[in-house]
Amino acid sequence: MLHLLKIDLKKLTSYRTFWVVCGLYFITLGFTTASGMEFLKWLANKSVEFGATININRIPLYHFPDIWQNVIFVSGFFKLILAFMVVISVTNEFTYRTIRQNIIDGMSRTEFLLSKMLTNVLLSLLSCAMLLIIILITGFIYSPEIIWSEIFTDAGFMFAYFLEMFSFLSYTLMLGLLIQRSGLTIVVLCLSHMLEAIIKANIDDVTPGLIPFFPMESITNLVEMPFARYAFQEIQDYVSLTSVAIALGWLVIFNYISYLKLKKSDL
Amino acid sequence: MATPVLTVKGLTKNFGKLCAVNQINLQVNQGEVFGMLGPNGSGKTTTLGMLMGVVNPTAGEFSWFGQPPTHHIRKKIGAVLEHPIFYPYLSGQKNLELNATIKQTDFNNIAKVLDIVELTARRNDAYKTYSLGMKQRLAIASALLNDPTVLILDEPTNGLDPMGIAEIRTIIKRIAADGKTIILASHLLDEVQKVCTHFAILRKGNLVHSGPVDDVGKGEEIVEVIAFHDDLPAHLNQFQGTKEVKKDGQFYLVKMNNGFHSAELNRFLFEKGIVVSHLATQKKSLEKQFLEILAENNTH
Ligand SMILES: Nc1ncnc2c1ncn2[C@@H]1O[C@H](COP(=O)(O)OP(=O)(O)OP(=O)(O)O)[C@@H](O)[C@H]1O
Ligand SMILES: [Mg+2]
Repeated sequence: MLHLLKIDLKKLTSYRTFWVVCGLYFITLGFTTASGMEFLKWLANKSVEFGATININRIPLYHFPDIWQNVIFVSGFFKLILAFMVVISVTNEFTYRTIRQNIIDGMSRTEFLLSKMLTNVLLSLLSCAMLLIIILITGFIYSPEIIWSEIFTDAGFMFAYFLEMFSFLSYTLMLGLLIQRSGLTIVVLCLSHMLEAIIKANIDDVTPGLIPFFPMESITNLVEMPFARYAFQEIQDYVSLTSVAIALGWLVIFNYISYLKLKKSDL
Repeated sequence: MATPVLTVKGLTKNFGKLCAVNQINLQVNQGEVFGMLGPNGSGKTTTLGMLMGVVNPTAGEFSWFGQPPTHHIRKKIGAVLEHPIFYPYLSGQKNLELNATIKQTDFNNIAKVLDIVELTARRNDAYKTYSLGMKQRLAIASALLNDPTVLILDEPTNGLDPMGIAEIRTIIKRIAADGKTIILASHLLDEVQKVCTHFAILRKGNLVHSGPVDDVGKGEEIVEVIAFHDDLPAHLNQFQGTKEVKKDGQFYLVKMNNGFHSAELNRFLFEKGIVVSHLATQKKSLEKQFLEILAENNTH
């Protein structure tokens, strides 16, 4: 397994685009998630000029345990940048035809897929690690008092986040393998949400029960938007097992389709 | 008898309606240098692609070393199909390191194979900056990386300069001398005749000939004769082994019956008191044989 990961990393680590895109991703991810409090302060200052007062300490964005869902929900938006890297990595193999040479040199098609999947796992884990560090640091800075028993109560969102990342990157990998050209893959990837929204809107009146089973929807449902709770509304502040089950189902389906596609195509 | 290196049975590939390879049967034995010949589009690359696992056969089967093909076996085969393929942004050295990782062989061989193809000086330059010939050489270096027992080369001298072609020929001969098996697809019939021990000819996906190179030119001989004698044609015709006599420039060309050779003709003429000033057997070239075989099969 580690051997296969090593092969894919060897392809990427000398590739400048990889560092640029990943750098961009981790910097924006880190910067945005860590600077929420600064943003609120700026907002408060601005509103003072208009005569309103916002007591930012009444909005516990970065307080344990709220911080887990808050930060992780926002981070979900950045996964598209990482997905671009996956698109480039897999479509390059077709434009350069290196996938053909990899097989000739003695990789099996399954091993080729596994090497790409392992990189997806690694990128997802790195995102998790990055968030874990940011959450712990900002949590300790901004929480008014540290109650040790509350720090990790919502850490389960981390698992949901990993699943969200890995499912989405698996979807991206599948698209890349099916389409094989980077431009078109990125367009389809960006349109996926929109297409799904149109379909959902159309079946909403007929069978609304189907909606949670849509692939993009199921990935988004893992960590639901938390901010309405600060306007005294009910929110889903836990990871629902149904969402996990559906997302896991899609995760298997995406990778299985990739497997079938690779198995039967001439390279 | 030892197990053949490669056995192919009924191998077939259809691309939609097009039958690129049709029911091919082949056998390649240990130590052979096996030439695959055929016009453009006759199915050479497709056949090799199937043998290397990148093209899924429509029907038929093949075995390497008597075993069903797996990716583990491919690691022990060095192969270059058509064009050299590498990651353009990686250096030659890094590309070979990647291939060594895939083949699960250690990096010690890299310096050696770079040396063989004379790319050591350019090893740290990005592959995309290489000339066509250098790309070809890197591909050959990569094929040699795992000290393979079988080497598959598809037009390996494509784009090389005459010196490069001669060097590749030397490399192939040296590898063959080590007892390794080589499968070589090429359009340079002269090349094939110089290095191959066996050859096969494909035409429109069909295997139309397969046999040892030494057999080329067996069968009826053509002998060139020059002698200063007025009745030479008449005497030549009297020889019992003569089938046909033609004048071609300064020579008389004697087409011999099967089983007769130039030595007997020489003795016959000498006994008649005719001393020849030139007598030589025309060696039938592979090229000639190739064209003949293709022409024969054209009528079918
Ligand atoms: N991926 C493919 N899809 C459709 N047809 C193909 C494909 N690959 C090869 N062919 C067809 O199969 C036939 C055999 O092609 P192949 O490349 O094996 O020929 P070749 O003997 O290697 O020719 P050359 O001497 O030009 O290299 C050709 O008619 C070609 O057009
Ligand atoms: Mg070819």
